[in-house]
Amino acid sequence: MDIFESVKMAISTLAANRLRSSLTMLGIVIGNASVIALVGVGQGVQNMANRQFGSLGTNVLFVVPGSRNATEKPKTLVLKDAEAIATQVPSVKAVAPEIDRRELVTYRDKRTYTSVIGATPPYPSVRDFDVAQGRFLTDLDLKRNAEVIVIGSDLDQRLFGDRNPIGQQVWLNNLSFQVIGVMASKGSSLGTNQDDAAYIPITTMSNRIVGWTSPYGTEVTYISVSAKNKASIDSAQFQITNLLRLRHRIIGEDDFTVDSQKSMLAVVDAITVGLTLLLAAIAGISLLVGGIGIMNIMLVSVSERTHEIGLRKAIGATQQDILIQFIIEAVILSSLGGLLGTIFGAGGILLIGAVTPLQAAVAPLVIVVAVSVSGGIGLFFGVVPARRAAQLDPIVALRSA
Amino acid sequence: MSNQTSHQFPVYSHPNAASTVHEQKPVIVRLENVCKIYGFGETAVQALADVSLMVEQGEYCAIMGASGSGKSTGMNIIGCLDRPTTGHYYLDNLDVAQLGDTELARIRNLKLGFVFQQFHLLPQLSALENVMLPMVYAGVKTAERRERAVAALTRVGLENRLHNKPNQLSGGQQQRVAIARAIVNRPVLLLADEPTGALDSHTTQEVMQIFKELNASGITIVMVTHESEVARQTQRIVWFRDGQVLHSHLLPEDIAQVASL
Repeated sequence: MDIFESVKMAISTLAANRLRSSLTMLGIVIGNASVIALVGVGQGVQNMANRQFGSLGTNVLFVVPGSRNATEKPKTLVLKDAEAIATQVPSVKAVAPEIDRRELVTYRDKRTYTSVIGATPPYPSVRDFDVAQGRFLTDLDLKRNAEVIVIGSDLDQRLFGDRNPIGQQVWLNNLSFQVIGVMASKGSSLGTNQDDAAYIPITTMSNRIVGWTSPYGTEVTYISVSAKNKASIDSAQFQITNLLRLRHRIIGEDDFTVDSQKSMLAVVDAITVGLTLLLAAIAGISLLVGGIGIMNIMLVSVSERTHEIGLRKAIGATQQDILIQFIIEAVILSSLGGLLGTIFGAGGILLIGAVTPLQAAVAPLVIVVAVSVSGGIGLFFGVVPARRAAQLDPIVALRSA
Repeated sequence: MSNQTSHQFPVYSHPNAASTVHEQKPVIVRLENVCKIYGFGETAVQALADVSLMVEQGEYCAIMGASGSGKSTGMNIIGCLDRPTTGHYYLDNLDVAQLGDTELARIRNLKLGFVFQQFHLLPQLSALENVMLPMVYAGVKTAERRERAVAALTRVGLENRLHNKPNQLSGGQQQRVAIARAIVNRPVLLLADEPTGALDSHTTQEVMQIFKELNASGITIVMVTHESEVARQTQRIVWFRDGQVLHSHLLPEDIAQVASL
């Protein structure tokens, strides 16, 4: 008897017992659907995290004052350091030092506390930010300590509503600033709403608002540095560290830290990969349970079909014929279940993608793995019942009426 | 006709058989000193004790005996469903006593046809598909399968019921489908195990008529039955008692006498 005959026979048997066949498949369907959907959700979380970090700018390094294990923040990171990095480190594309403060911003009767950032002209290019309206700060603004301000889109909405903000005056720390630009909306990153900030020249910030706080120069909150490309991130990190150690005349421990997104991304990746694995493991267990379900129902089916097996053997089926027939039945059930599960799982992911911000992805690899694993499970869990069927004594099988 | 099988009982010769013609016919079934013991040690049960039996081509023979007499065990061994513990069994001059499971399956498929008391048709298949089943295992080509199955069903008078499922057929019709299935691979021996046990007297006659016709066309038939009415319609009766062949050529009219012993 060839394999084609066996497949035909298995299909007709399964079709004759539709209820039993579909119930058997159910476990595998659920298992596969959950594997595909949960892995998709895990990847969605990963994508979202990557997007969040990507919104800080690409290939960005952050130079922050203080070493990782320092308790007190030194005041040694200054504007001159940023200029030195920009001019002396070859693998750096642009440098954006900034001074962050929370200040009360007032426009007519509206007042709001918001984060005010003393920035330099390269800021938008380093942080991957666009200007929606007007212009950003220029070198001239910095040179003149100009009282000009660029506002984020949310802040624009809060203060001006539908009114055109360009050219309006807002009050900040008893100074009147002219609005010269509005940033494009960017969304929040790691819990900070980047659209709610206001940007003024870093010189104005240090000279007119913060004042002289450090004996070393204009103290900055941190410096964002964008490397030339992904490959130069590591060399930029190394070169910046060397330069700053020289400038700060450091012999022992650094008084600054150069953080790359890479290390942060690695942490986030580790977390999200762990999450994906966890979800996959849970789903894998349901797949396994589905497989055991197949074995269970196949075993029941063997005892239910004792007569049939006995008769088939009496009219000439060999043990191998029976074995193959039952294994094929199990494999058909589990592969079909896997296919249906894939459809449901992919459908679920599309639904999740449509109703939640998670951009859950259907990974083709996951589908291939899930379907072949469920086929394998059918094969594996089909063997025990199939062997039992094949080894039935035809005399006993026929007489057990 | 020589005394091959009985040991202490008189031999009843076949009334119609002209011995000269008879001896030239090939032997289909030859059991030689067959013993069958179930179990081991103290729990061992001897189901067959030194049974020797011959069935020649074209014979129509009934096996009778009380339950526990060994007739079913004998039937299983003749049907290659079971192997003798000791002794030899030649089916169509091939020693099959100690063949493996796969070879026995092949022999059951090609050389034997089975008819059971409970018909044992597969409920999900039509009459035609049921009859085609042995040819599937025999590896017959699809087109030929269909042709032969239709011919077999026509032979048992069911040419109008080809596509009915078993539950759409009466008991007698189901048994006729089973007979068609048994003869479709052109076996050397047709084995029937209580073929009329589940039928009423009318359909019993229908089925017995078919057996008679098949035998007339040259098919060798061995039938286990406990109904003397049925056994009477065969040519020869083998009587089992206590695992031995009591009479190997009992005449139908002597059944009552032996049964009362």
